Amino acid sequence: MNGVHDLGGTHGHGPINPEPDEPVFHADWEKRVFGMFFATFAAGMLNVDEFRYAIERMPQQDYLRTSYYEHWLHVFETLLAEKGIVTHEELRARCDQLAKEAA
Amino acid sequence: MPAALTPEIVPGLVAGGASTKIAEDIAPKFKHGDKVRARNINPTTHTRLPRYVRGKVGTVVHDHGVFVFNDSNAHGKGTHPQHVYNVRFTAQELWGPDAPSRDTLHIDMFESYIEPA
Amino acid sequence: MADTGHGADAALRIKALESLLVEKQLIDPKALDAVVELYEHKIGPRNGAKVVARAWVDPDYRKRLLADGTAAIAELGFSGVQGEDMIVVENTPEVHNMVVCTLCSCYPWPTLGLPPVWYKAAPYRARSVIDPRGVLAEFGVEVPETVEVRVWDSNAELRYLVLPMRPAGTEGMTEEQLAALVTRDSMIGTGVPMAA
Repeated sequence: MNGVHDLGGTHGHGPINPEPDEPVFHADWEKRVFGMFFATFAAGMLNVDEFRYAIERMPQQDYLRTSYYEHWLHVFETLLAEKGIVTHEELRARCDQLAKEAA
Repeated sequence: MPAALTPEIVPGLVAGGASTKIAEDIAPKFKHGDKVRARNINPTTHTRLPRYVRGKVGTVVHDHGVFVFNDSNAHGKGTHPQHVYNVRFTAQELWGPDAPSRDTLHIDMFESYIEPA
Repeated sequence: MADTGHGADAALRIKALESLLVEKQLIDPKALDAVVELYEHKIGPRNGAKVVARAWVDPDYRKRLLADGTAAIAELGFSGVQGEDMIVVENTPEVHNMVVCTLCSCYPWPTLGLPPVWYKAAPYRARSVIDPRGVLAEFGVEVPETVEVRVWDSNAELRYLVLPMRPAGTEGMTEEQLAALVTRDSMIGTGVPMAA
């Protein structure tokens, strides 16, 4: 699809700004998202191409303003709902419950 | 049903990977040195053909062999195995006469992405 | 859910998803721990540096590496996810190679580990193909006009590793000493090895 992910040759993105001594992960939640790829792939819940297409289908305005692992998180939420494994309602309810417990 | 991925099988899965190269004997349509044009297609579905090479003319430099076709596999429409070629484009073909005359870009093209030029 | 774009929620959202999948007995959280452990501590650019150093000291290995990257890299014990089919491209006095993935973030994990944020972000992916020399200059790499800059867009399932040129004055160094000179960026093509 002709999405914003197809970045080659586009202008206006600014400097590259490499981070000195960058850690492999920047937060613990990124580690869980990363590990989730292997767990869902091994379980046959998704393949790499479905995974990439789910990123491409993100709302285009969100793609550029969210981080790499937020893209991945969006994939799991999207594909697992589409495949009937975890619904958006289940997720929303569990997020509310966890937020209450943490409050 | 137990989880498919257990800690015990993680090292093997990581080190083994999941190559999408297929040992299938399919005759290649293109060979080293052939001039090819990247097709001007604009699917709303998944594709690994970036916009910046569509319609441009390059030269086949390598045949990587036969691979699963990402564009169909993303949609549960089969693996459509086909040759993947490395194709060389000059920077000037892609970006016009102001690009440095020596510079080039190499990109991998599924056979479906290219036509003789 | 579709509430992406709220970074502060990400930790909560993945926790919710993981807990639901655990309850459904579809995933084992200890397997996720094992994956993270490997990529955080075992798989990284020191692997690629060993490949490069071996190619610098062993001409036969260099030949095998350029002819069949996957097999030659596996000789040193590195293989697997996102490095299943490897191509190694060699820098020479005539050609400077650099690697990008304009469509997503494809990167050779077994030899380089997980990619840095800049490799996955829009500026590098957008600019590397249209202005590679400008990108290289931002990394402090000046390539003379007489040298071809050759960009590799890893858009399919091949993964690319740059074999940088061996620095001058390293004739007496051991393979291990040479590996210490090989930076991650020199194997992406946005850097050169450290001087001896």
